[in-house]
Amino acid sequence: MSANISFKDALKKGALIYNPVLVQLVGLCPVIAASTTFIQALSLSVTMFLELIVVCVIASAFFKNLPRWIRVPIYFIIGLALVCPILYAIETYSLNDISLGMKIYLPLTAVNSVVAVHCEQFSVKNSIKLAFYDAVASGIGISAIFLITGAVREILGKASFAGISLNLPITFKGMALPFGCLILLGFLAALLKSFTAKYYPQTEKEEEVKTVTEELPEPVNTVEETVQPKTAEPNAEYSAEDDLNEFLKSLGIELSDEEGDAK
Amino acid sequence: MAHGAVKPTKPNIRSVYSDYLIMLLAPCYMAFHYYGFRSLLVIAVSVISALLTDAFAGLILNKKINFGNPGCVFAGAAIALMMPANVPFYVPALASFFAVAIVMMPFGSDENTPFVPAAAGFAFASVCFKESVFNYAVGTQDSVFGAESLGSMLLKGSSVHIGTANIFDILIGNVAGPMGTGCVLLMLASAAFLLIRRPSSLLSTAGFVVACIVTVVLFPRVSASLKSNLIPELCSGSLMFAAVFLITDPVTQPKKNLNKFLYGALCGVLCIAMRKMGAYEETVCFAVILSNALRPIFDSAIDNMPKRIKKSPRKEVTE
Repeated sequence: MSANISFKDALKKGALIYNPVLVQLVGLCPVIAASTTFIQALSLSVTMFLELIVVCVIASAFFKNLPRWIRVPIYFIIGLALVCPILYAIETYSLNDISLGMKIYLPLTAVNSVVAVHCEQFSVKNSIKLAFYDAVASGIGISAIFLITGAVREILGKASFAGISLNLPITFKGMALPFGCLILLGFLAALLKSFTAKYYPQTEKEEEVKTVTEELPEPVNTVEETVQPKTAEPNAEYSAEDDLNEFLKSLGIELSDEEGDAK
Repeated sequence: MAHGAVKPTKPNIRSVYSDYLIMLLAPCYMAFHYYGFRSLLVIAVSVISALLTDAFAGLILNKKINFGNPGCVFAGAAIALMMPANVPFYVPALASFFAVAIVMMPFGSDENTPFVPAAAGFAFASVCFKESVFNYAVGTQDSVFGAESLGSMLLKGSSVHIGTANIFDILIGNVAGPMGTGCVLLMLASAAFLLIRRPSSLLSTAGFVVACIVTVVLFPRVSASLKSNLIPELCSGSLMFAAVFLITDPVTQPKKNLNKFLYGALCGVLCIAMRKMGAYEETVCFAVILSNALRPIFDSAIDNMPKRIKKSPRKEVTE
């Protein structure tokens, strides 16, 4: 995303074109396992939405200089700090139906992959404003999927909506099971794909170009490059040692190779 | 391939399904014989539902509407035959809708679907309408074990006494069970027809039956004689029907003969394992779907295994 991106564009891309659940396929586990009723889906989507915004903004503001291996655990600790009060509130107000329905998935939102992916791929590389836009857009995208799946599964699987009975003559128990949600998500993904292809064909073309470029074979090194290989590039393979050195440098500690060897 | 050699053509799926429809006539007649006119109504509702779904999906997808698609007719009829005669009409109708709209159409047509639509439709009905699909209480013609099916008895751990008096009743399907799949002798006759028309398809059936027998012998469900375990296990539910009609499906079967046998064997082991450990009386459709999902392994991994073994030379340890 460019620096001049508007909120509308961010919303279009984050919530629709690159929807976290249907396109990026992250955060599938809570959607499939816990969004069996509308109320549960609403609770999970609100929790995830808040967590996504707070963690992404904090990551963009403070964690740009930290190495990756230490950033990810910090996201989860912040997530835990946000989810714990919600869990205590559920216990205090005896909302056992919601808590039991969501099982382990509400506490697990603290360590969900959506937050880690968005913080790492976007927030730490961009300004606070853009990180906020991205978090809101992705939060809306994932919440919409939560609410749609929760509503459809409750109506078809339990013949009720938000706990109110609809007195439908037939119920499909399978919709409350994970396979029902997977089928539903498959159809939603296909719908989104056809919608994107119809109304945003430019993005489809960009995706195709990207895919073709990724599939191209790597260029053959010249003789000089083979004899004298290039030094590590910014996009070179991830190395924990480099990250550790960066982190120590940021703290004002520098270790030369000789010192390291001696130690 | 030598120059000028004729490339083997893909079998015409429509003609294959036409063969299967001819084979299905016999189970339909048996259902009528045992359960009367209602069984034919159930079959008709299921087939019409499948055809209407196909036509409606064609309208939505802007495809040429083809009434009487043999694949849809086969799926609808097979789903109905695996159900009891007293099943409410909406159950086979919805199962056929699921088979065509959810399993068949997203992949284009019946020629591309990775799962057997009839198996998926019946599995869907088993999960969603378990009480109706396994209720053989009303309308059963059984005079041997009452209204309880063989599968239900095995699931509860009750041993089935097999004597000379009742073994023929079991073989001709005169026991409580699905309306069109109980007659094992008829299934053998259908297998003989298939042997004449498409012999290689039966390799999956052979693998399936052998694997079922071996698994039952090794892990019997009831502490009784081998005969009392093996015969009810093989004759209960839709096991033999699936062996002849579902596993041999030309679209979802692996292409090579050895792979077909292994595919059938996997399906058999899965079926008996799920019967032993699962909560459902009839598990063969779940086993078929799982085997369908694993088919790419048979088509690629097993085929490429000799090449891989040849390509990866052993690392010599040098000191």
